Amino acid sequence: MAEPELLLDSNIRLWVVLPIVFITFLVGVIRHYVSILLQSDKKLTLEQVSDSQVLIRSRILRENGKYIPKQSFLMRKFYFNNQEDGFFKNTKRKVVPPSPMTDPSMLTDMMKGNVTNVLPMILIGGWINWTFSGFVTTKVPFPLTLRFKPMLQQGIELLSLDASWVSSASWYFLNVFGLRSMYSLILGQDNGADQSRIMQEQMSGAAMAMPADTNKAFKAEWEALELTDHQWALENIEEELMSRELDLDGMFSKELPMGIF
Amino acid sequence: MSFLYCLNPEKHKLRKWREDNHRNSEQIVDVGEELINEHASKLGDDIWIIYEQVMIAALDCSRDDLAWTCLQELKRQFPGSQRVKRLAGMRLEALEKYEDANKQYDSILQDDPTNTAARKRKISILKAQGKSAEAIRELNEYLEQFVGDQEAWHELSELYINEHDYGKAAFCLEELMMTNPHNHLYCEQYAEVKYTQGGLENLELSRKYFAQALKLNNRNMRALFGLYMSASHIAASPKVNATVKKANVKYATWATNQINRAYQLAGRGTKENKCSVKAVEEMLESITMS
Repeated sequence: MAEPELLLDSNIRLWVVLPIVFITFLVGVIRHYVSILLQSDKKLTLEQVSDSQVLIRSRILRENGKYIPKQSFLMRKFYFNNQEDGFFKNTKRKVVPPSPMTDPSMLTDMMKGNVTNVLPMILIGGWINWTFSGFVTTKVPFPLTLRFKPMLQQGIELLSLDASWVSSASWYFLNVFGLRSMYSLILGQDNGADQSRIMQEQMSGAAMAMPADTNKAFKAEWEALELTDHQWALENIEEELMSRELDLDGMFSKELPMGIF
Repeated sequence: MSFLYCLNPEKHKLRKWREDNHRNSEQIVDVGEELINEHASKLGDDIWIIYEQVMIAALDCSRDDLAWTCLQELKRQFPGSQRVKRLAGMRLEALEKYEDANKQYDSILQDDPTNTAARKRKISILKAQGKSAEAIRELNEYLEQFVGDQEAWHELSELYINEHDYGKAAFCLEELMMTNPHNHLYCEQYAEVKYTQGGLENLELSRKYFAQALKLNNRNMRALFGLYMSASHIAASPKVNATVKKANVKYATWATNQINRAYQLAGRGTKENKCSVKAVEEMLESITMS
């Protein structure tokens, strides 16, 4: 290290570091239960369900078509892509882009999302910044450039302090993201306290807006299927199979259930 | 998924059967009845799903009393639930009150048109009443909407096989093979259907798919016998040329060797086994390949 290590008062550890961890964790748990209470049922129409399954089937045809005979593959490809009456060519769905203004349920969803996630984070971040300000909380174990100083050292007015020494606000944000794995351990996989997952969903939400994109999805599938060729995986199966003896190990052990036939 | 402290080995058994989709109804009824009667308080919230599991098993074993108890408890706890309505419908089916069961399922579908469980129960009512043509028609309509339902494709293939419509059964099995490319049982079933259809092209296909099933699972004896049968049939057919015949004789001989090996392994030369080995050898020799 370029400079002597700073020795922090152990009171900082007791009265700042640990309380922030507890606060973050408890707020996360509360957020999880609040999100469960505020959950709204997403009703899917029959057409949406049907369309998503058709797209899956077409994708499976492209990926695993090599396991069925050539004739069958061509038959299905024809059904989907035929010029006159192929499914992808002909089916046009009524497209209603779900903008927040026209669709009231989307509006309330967005509001709920904001209230449960962004608002608490801002509020508590600000409160922690105000309460635990004016001192160095902890040190990140890797060196940082000076550009991070104003961001990470909110209340500390020292120009020469290494950027690795951070304030309590940054410790709070570190906790918010770091406690994710703790949440999945305690609350189960799809918990509402998972901040980063929610942010990811918001970013990819545009890509996943299925109702608006059904026609585009169909067109994309049509193109992909046109390009697919049938390479029968069973072309030389006998030679491959008979190149060696069958592995009959463990076939007749007493514990084996009568499931071979 | 949360932490499940399995205080009870019985509870653990029931959960395993539930997750693996076993249909060992008598065992479930034995274990479940004891759990419900003796340890209801200790089960907590798990009791509801155990009620469901035990109820279906009780219907299988004609235990109407037990099924009725479970249904009452579930109705009391979840008054408006569609899942419970479906169970009530299943009980009516078990009592052969098909009209009432149909009304029950129709009411579920009115509330929620995307409910697949109710639609599938209606189709199984048709099957139970022996109206296979209608069942096939309804199942086709169902599959038009829900193309991804593998259970339904399998059921449809079974219905077609019963009607001896092997071409359509093969289509259904192809769907299953595509979605589960590593499942040797679908390959084997498909090969059997093709073999039954007959004709040189279908026999070749069936031989290939028996080989695929063997490749996926070396111990599938049925596929091994199927490979032998299809290869020897092709070799015995008068329409093939010499090279094809030679290749198929080679395949059939290889299959014979593997069958003999398997029978040698079974029982390691005990007295009973010697008879079966001899029987297999004689059978193989009796199917002449000229």
